[in-house]
Amino acid sequence: MDSASPTPGERWESTRRQFMKVLTFILGTVMAAVLAVPFVSSLFGPALRRKNVHWTRVGKLPVLGSGHPTKISFTDMVEDAYLRENVTRDVWIVKLPSGGLTAFSPICPHLGCHYNWDAASGHFVCPCHGSVFALDGAVLGGPTPRPLDTLPVKIENGELYIGWERFEPGISRKIRV
Amino acid sequence: MLTRLGKWINKRWPLSDLIRLGLEEEILGGSSYAYVFGSLLLFTFAIQAATGVWQLFYYVPTVQHAYDSVNYLRTEVPFGWLIHGLHYWGANAMVILLLCHAIRVFTWAAYKNPRELTWLAGVGLFLITLAMSFTGAPLPWDERGYWATEVGTSIAGTVPFIGNLTKQLMRGGETMGQLALSRMFVLHIAIIPGALFAMVGIHLVAFRRNGSVGPWDEAKRARKGQFWPDQLFKDTLSCTILFIILIALVVLAPPPFAGPADPLDTLYTPKPEWNFLFLYESLKFFPGKLEPVGTVGIPALGILVLVLLPFFDRKAEHSPGRRLRAMSLGALAILGLIVLTIVGYYSKPGAGQKKGETSPAASIAQTKNISMGRTLFQSQGCAGCHRVNGSGGNVGPNLSGEGMKGRSMKWLRTQLRSPKAHDPQSVMPAFSALAAQQIDQLADYLLSLKSESAPAVGGASSGATAGSSAAAANVAARVPGKAAFIIGSAEHGALLFEKNCVKCHGPRGTDHVSNPGSTDLMVPALNPIDRSLYNISPKLFATTIDLIIQHGSHPAGPHPVLHMPAFGDTQSLTQEEISDLEAYILNLNGVNRGEITHPGLQPRIFLGAVAGIFALVMVAALGMYFLRKSSGTGKKNS
Repeated sequence: MDSASPTPGERWESTRRQFMKVLTFILGTVMAAVLAVPFVSSLFGPALRRKNVHWTRVGKLPVLGSGHPTKISFTDMVEDAYLRENVTRDVWIVKLPSGGLTAFSPICPHLGCHYNWDAASGHFVCPCHGSVFALDGAVLGGPTPRPLDTLPVKIENGELYIGWERFEPGISRKIRV
Repeated sequence: MLTRLGKWINKRWPLSDLIRLGLEEEILGGSSYAYVFGSLLLFTFAIQAATGVWQLFYYVPTVQHAYDSVNYLRTEVPFGWLIHGLHYWGANAMVILLLCHAIRVFTWAAYKNPRELTWLAGVGLFLITLAMSFTGAPLPWDERGYWATEVGTSIAGTVPFIGNLTKQLMRGGETMGQLALSRMFVLHIAIIPGALFAMVGIHLVAFRRNGSVGPWDEAKRARKGQFWPDQLFKDTLSCTILFIILIALVVLAPPPFAGPADPLDTLYTPKPEWNFLFLYESLKFFPGKLEPVGTVGIPALGILVLVLLPFFDRKAEHSPGRRLRAMSLGALAILGLIVLTIVGYYSKPGAGQKKGETSPAASIAQTKNISMGRTLFQSQGCAGCHRVNGSGGNVGPNLSGEGMKGRSMKWLRTQLRSPKAHDPQSVMPAFSALAAQQIDQLADYLLSLKSESAPAVGGASSGATAGSSAAAANVAARVPGKAAFIIGSAEHGALLFEKNCVKCHGPRGTDHVSNPGSTDLMVPALNPIDRSLYNISPKLFATTIDLIIQHGSHPAGPHPVLHMPAFGDTQSLTQEEISDLEAYILNLNGVNRGEITHPGLQPRIFLGAVAGIFALVMVAALGMYFLRKSSGTGKKNS
């Protein structure tokens, strides 16, 4: 057998083998790619998911008086992937002169204390550093850098829903934590 | 041939030797599709390793959260369904491929000198794979895996002398719990895979040393083929087909949601995984004292035969036609394995293993039990704390109406044995020293107490407790239970429905059972359910009906005879059971509790895309092939 000039049969055999090599590589690569895409997106999916306002049903809307706020406690479910925990939260509900509702986070925007309603003066007063807020949340005095933080609130079928959020304390802008 | 980088590495590390070891082998008789099973196993193993590691990004091995974490991966992580499903079907494929591989090797007599070590490592891999299958099953902590492991470890417990120790070592205690799960987890993801990797290495190196055994027909052995690319091409093509089959199985036959593990479940039929059914079934031939023959004797004998095979069967003969004795014995063993598996699949566990409280014989003995229970109630000092029909202490709750609270036998048993299981603050002593029979008698007695106007649940009590409308309003304010967030098993829920709900809601929730005294005069139908409760989102739907199942509800109306018991609040159903019921009720209304909310790509579309891509590749490749062939032959002719 002369190795210098391969017969057509030998040449075809080498082409056939070359073809098998290439196709083996291609099939392997395609399989790897078909798996790689789902594998990578399984990590990206939850990581890039944006949390929407999550509405918590508080219950039947209580009778609200005008001129003073009403403190409402409700159970909020905190979800972290497949973990869930029930947490009790408070909000201040104020009936607006227009007839609408405002919900205030119970956390003072100054340094995160829980403020109170002072019925005598008709103001919200923070016991920690003496920030004072009006019934509509406006700043009346003290070190607070911004008014009380409002929370999303809605009424559906006579039931109150709150979208609980927390905000960065101590700065003038209201930024979600 | 080597690139510069390859040359650089090769000077410092035996890269080309390794490639040569992996690819260079002369195959007597040429490559063959009969030889692909080993590669298919290696390929499946790679898929198992990759999908296994990836699942760890989401899975946690705790009794509390394992089931939820797996279901989070399956329904809320893009392609989580694919990753989990491939692992599930890959595991099943592995056992089948293993059998095919073993049959192939046996038929070709490839275990004979000088390939004994390859065979032994193969036997090791067989056992390791079964161990992987066994330890993997309980990890999702669902009904299926839990009970398979419960039965499996119990089988280990029947081994004489060391059985009980082995069982407790596997479980990390007397009963299955967190320690059992942790042990199975570490074995499954660290220790056994380590052994598997090592054994695969030994198996492959041993295989390369002597190569494929080749055809037994001398004439055919003259032809010679190469592993690369001839055999590897056939292997890759087979792997591709297997790959598509696996994806198709994941899409078209996804693993079921078996419901969360419930150790107190009396309705579930505990059975091992299918690949252990042969063992489970063979045990039935050895009742009583002979049991160890089935549990240790036969498996040990089987392993011994496999290990010693190459040393007993030493004739150099390879042709199956001239090895009739070996071939018929092998065929008999395989046939036995298959028959036992099929019989095991269709068999029900032996009678007496699980006697539910619904057994008709039980009701005859009931009256006797009640009187025995009454005696116990006095002799055990229960009356010191609990008041019954006007006499007894006031420390504990009045039990006069205990039989009307909708308590289950199971609940009472637990309450008597370990009251803190229901209420950690409970001051009631645990009557753990009582025999099971005595506990049952006490429970029967308590269930017979139906007098006085103790708050009734589900019973016919006119003039119910508080005002109905107030109670109904209360429901809305209450929070859903744990069950609302668990993906239950609709199949198991159907059984529970039959047992707990059918009386008022009718079979499949369709019947209109009358409820005099309520405004609607009817018990609300569940199929189809009231539109205000229905939701297309399985999570929201489950949460809505969960409130009613957990806390009960009082129908509007002057004096409704029937009202919905608070199955969750009274703990007459476990949260696991409630989740199964919810899955069933959703199912009745055409909503799948296990719906994939974040699929990445809809499974069927993904399957179509994968099939399309591979079809395209093959069409292009074959087109090129025939084009070259025709041009090649054209040259030859000229």
